[in-house]
Amino acid sequence: MKRTQTIENFLFLYCWSCGIFLITVVACLIGFLLYKSMPNIGLKLIFGDVHWYKALIGKQIVFDGIWPAMVGTFFLIILSTVISIPLGISAGIYLSEYCPANLKAMFSFFIDLLAGIPSIVMGLFGFSLVLLIHKFITPAANTCLIVSALSLAFLVLPYLIKTTQIALSSIPKESQLIGPSLGFSKLDDLWHIRLPQSTKNILSGIILSIGRCAEDTAVIMLTGVVAIGGISDSIFSKYEALPFYIFYIAAEYTSAEELARGYGASLILLTITGTLFFVSYMIRKRLEKRW
Amino acid sequence: MVDTKFQSDWKIHIENLCVRFGSKEVIKNTSASFSQNKINSIIGPSGSGKTTLLRAINRLNDIEENCYTSGKLFIKLEDKWHNILSNYSSPVYLRRKIGMVFQHPNPLPTTIKRNITLALKIITGLSRSEREERLINSLQQVHLWDEVKDRLKKPALILSGGQQQRLCLARTLALEPEIILLDEPTSSLDFKASKRIEQLLLELKQKYTLIVVSHSLRQTRRISDKVYVLSNGKIAQELSSIQIHDDQMFYKVAEDFF
Repeated sequence: MKRTQTIENFLFLYCWSCGIFLITVVACLIGFLLYKSMPNIGLKLIFGDVHWYKALIGKQIVFDGIWPAMVGTFFLIILSTVISIPLGISAGIYLSEYCPANLKAMFSFFIDLLAGIPSIVMGLFGFSLVLLIHKFITPAANTCLIVSALSLAFLVLPYLIKTTQIALSSIPKESQLIGPSLGFSKLDDLWHIRLPQSTKNILSGIILSIGRCAEDTAVIMLTGVVAIGGISDSIFSKYEALPFYIFYIAAEYTSAEELARGYGASLILLTITGTLFFVSYMIRKRLEKRW
Repeated sequence: MVDTKFQSDWKIHIENLCVRFGSKEVIKNTSASFSQNKINSIIGPSGSGKTTLLRAINRLNDIEENCYTSGKLFIKLEDKWHNILSNYSSPVYLRRKIGMVFQHPNPLPTTIKRNITLALKIITGLSRSEREERLINSLQQVHLWDEVKDRLKKPALILSGGQQQRLCLARTLALEPEIILLDEPTSSLDFKASKRIEQLLLELKQKYTLIVVSHSLRQTRRISDKVYVLSNGKIAQELSSIQIHDDQMFYKVAEDFF
C-alpha cells in the first residue's frame, strides 16, 4: 500500500514537473525571441525605407523589408488551406462514414504513409511535378506559389483526414444513435448532428495544419520560394516567404544588424500564426454558438 | 397485403426473428405480438438480447456494420401493415414513425429549444409557428414546459438527469410517432425522477404504443399491461396483466429466469 502511494507521488511529481518544464521552455523561447528582436521591431523592419501606406497599396516596391515575405507567407497559408481543408475533411468523412471495412485498413495505411513522408521529399515531388509539366505540357512551367501551396496541402492532408476521422468516430455511441433514431437520413445526421459535434476537434486539425503550412521551409525551398523577389503578382510566379527569409538570414547573414532582422522576422511569423490560430478559435466559438 | 392474419389490437407482429452480429446470434428465432395503446415490457437477464430486440423494431441494429436480421417483422403504421424487413421498406420512414428513448439521457449539446425543433425542421418541414406549437405541446406532454419555458435558449445539458430524459421523450413526441421504444429509460435516474417517467408512460399509452425494456421487476409490475420474458435470445414466456399481478406467478418467473 505504502509502495503504491510512493509510486503515485513520484508519478504526480514527474507529470507536474513535465508540465512546468514545457511552460518554461515556451516562455524562454518567446522571451529570447522578444529580447533579440524587440529593438528591431517597427515599420522599418517590415517596409524598409518605403512609406507603409504606399507599400500597402502597392504603389512602391519594398526591397529592404520583410513585407513581401509576409504577404507571400499569408497567401501560401491561405492557398494551401483552401486546397487541403475540403479535401482532407471530405476524405476523413468518407473514411469514418462510408468506407467499407476492408478498404479502410488500406486507406489508413496509405494516409499514415503520407504522414510519414518528410517535407523535403514532398518538396521534391512538387519539383518533379513541375519538371513533368515542363516536359509534356508547357515549357513555360516553372516552380511557383501554386506548386508550393499544392505540395504543402499534401503535406498537411494526413492531419486533416485523421483529425476528422477521429473526431467523427469519437462521438459517444449513444449520441451517434440520436440522428438515426429520430429518422434522420445519413446525410442529415452527418450534417446537422455529427459534424457540429465534431467541429472542435476538426478545427484543432485545421490549426495544426495552418501552423505546418506557415513554418515549413523544406517544401517551399524546392518549389518556388526566392530570397528577393518582391510580392508575387499571380499564383504562377515566384514569391518570398518568412520561414525561408529566416533560414536565408540565419545561413548567410553578414552583419549583426541583418541577423537582428532575422529575429524580427521570426517574431512576425509567430504573430501571423498566432493571429490565424486566434481567428480559427473565434470561428470555432461562433460555430458552436450557432449550433 | 392480406391483413387477416393480424389481430385488430396488434401493432407489431414478429415471426421467427433472428438477429446476429457477425457470428454471434443474439435473437434466436423469436415470435411475438405487441398490442397497441399498451405498455409492453420486455424483461430478462443481462445479455439476453433485450436491447437488440427493441432495436430490431426500428431497424437501429442496421447501423452496425456486421448485423444481419432475418425473419418477418410486421408493423401497423398509419393503419397499414408494413413488412419492415422487406427490401422495399425504408428505415428512415420507419424511424420517423417509431420514436426511441435511450438508457442514458442523450440530449444534443445545444439549447433546450433546438433539441426539439432541429428534428422538426429537418424532417417535417413545418413552418416556424407550427414548430413552436409542437415544441410547446411536446414539452407540456412530458410536464417539462413549466420548468423550462423561461430558459428555452439555455443549453440542454444544464438540466437534471430526469429533466434531460423527459426532454428526450419530448423530442420524440414532437415528431408524432405511433410507437415509442424505451430502453431502460429510468435506469440512470433517481427514485423521484423514475416515478415521474413511470407516471408519464401511463399517460402516454392512451395515445401511443409503448415497448419498454426494463431492468426493474418492480417497475415492470407497476406499469406493464403485458410482459415478455426474454431468455438467451428467445421470448421464453409471456405474462398477461392478470399474471403480472399474481405474486406467486411473478416470483416464479423471477426465480426461473434471473
